[in-house]
Amino acid sequence: MTDLYTPFLEATRNVFHLMLDLSNISDQPAEWLGNEEELDVSIGFIGDLKGEVIYRLPHQTSLGIVTIMSGMEFDAVDEFVTSAISEIANIISGNVLTMLAEKDLTCDILPPVLKSLDSGEDYEFQTNILITSEVGEVCLDIRLEPAE
Amino acid sequence: MLWKEKYELGVPLIDEQHKELFKRVESFMQVLRMASSWEDKVEKVNETLDFMNTYVVEHFRDEEAFQQEIGYPGEEEHKKVHADMVNYVIAVTEEYKNSGYDEQLIQKFAGKLMAWLINHVASEDQRIAAYAISKGVDKHD
Repeated sequence: MTDLYTPFLEATRNVFHLMLDLSNISDQPAEWLGNEEELDVSIGFIGDLKGEVIYRLPHQTSLGIVTIMSGMEFDAVDEFVTSAISEIANIISGNVLTMLAEKDLTCDILPPVLKSLDSGEDYEFQTNILITSEVGEVCLDIRLEPAE
Repeated sequence: MLWKEKYELGVPLIDEQHKELFKRVESFMQVLRMASSWEDKVEKVNETLDFMNTYVVEHFRDEEAFQQEIGYPGEEEHKKVHADMVNYVIAVTEEYKNSGYDEQLIQKFAGKLMAWLINHVASEDQRIAAYAISKGVDKHD
């Protein structure tokens, strides 16, 4: 199956660089151990690929990102913060669509939804990208497979 | 500060409108995040929302006119992005008014608006400037 790790990593790098001025970013495929206080935003994929990508952010990371964008201090992951992070997940996934189109994969994304329960379904391409930057860690939990 | 110099396209009319838009969104966020009661904030929030409904449309129209003027190949796609945002602002405004000025709804709107605006100006609009430069178009016309 087409490499999906690289497009998601590159899209995240680009968005973090352009929107947050974060350029010192490292990545590794790693198991996400979870965090008691985390925001999980799922973006559904349809088209040539189906499934979802869950953006998992510890609250400190979400607060750091929104502080960089707004120049204001935030101390709780409320409606404002959740909505801003959901839009970033949407933007990253939108950038991935462009990269997939270059590989002749036509996909679309669904509006962000907060993830509460884990479906536990198996997908052909299932991996976690752990991205570390100055604001903390973000895990991209990718669960995709070719549409039948 | 929400506005950054790196967002400038070098097109005076569009840059001025972007600065005004960022200034209004920043002031909107400052009011929203104030540690005071919703009753104290709601009037200012409503004023800004009314402004967004008219100014955003005006700005998008001017930006689209510039794209047409320089023959920007991504014009139609960019127009759709603008139209989607205008429809979103209109829909939220209606829902907000119908809800009797629900604060959570407007906090959610502001979070998305901030992230959308930064990405749109820092990324998507920069492609217009890059195209204008590549074609040797005088952006000050």
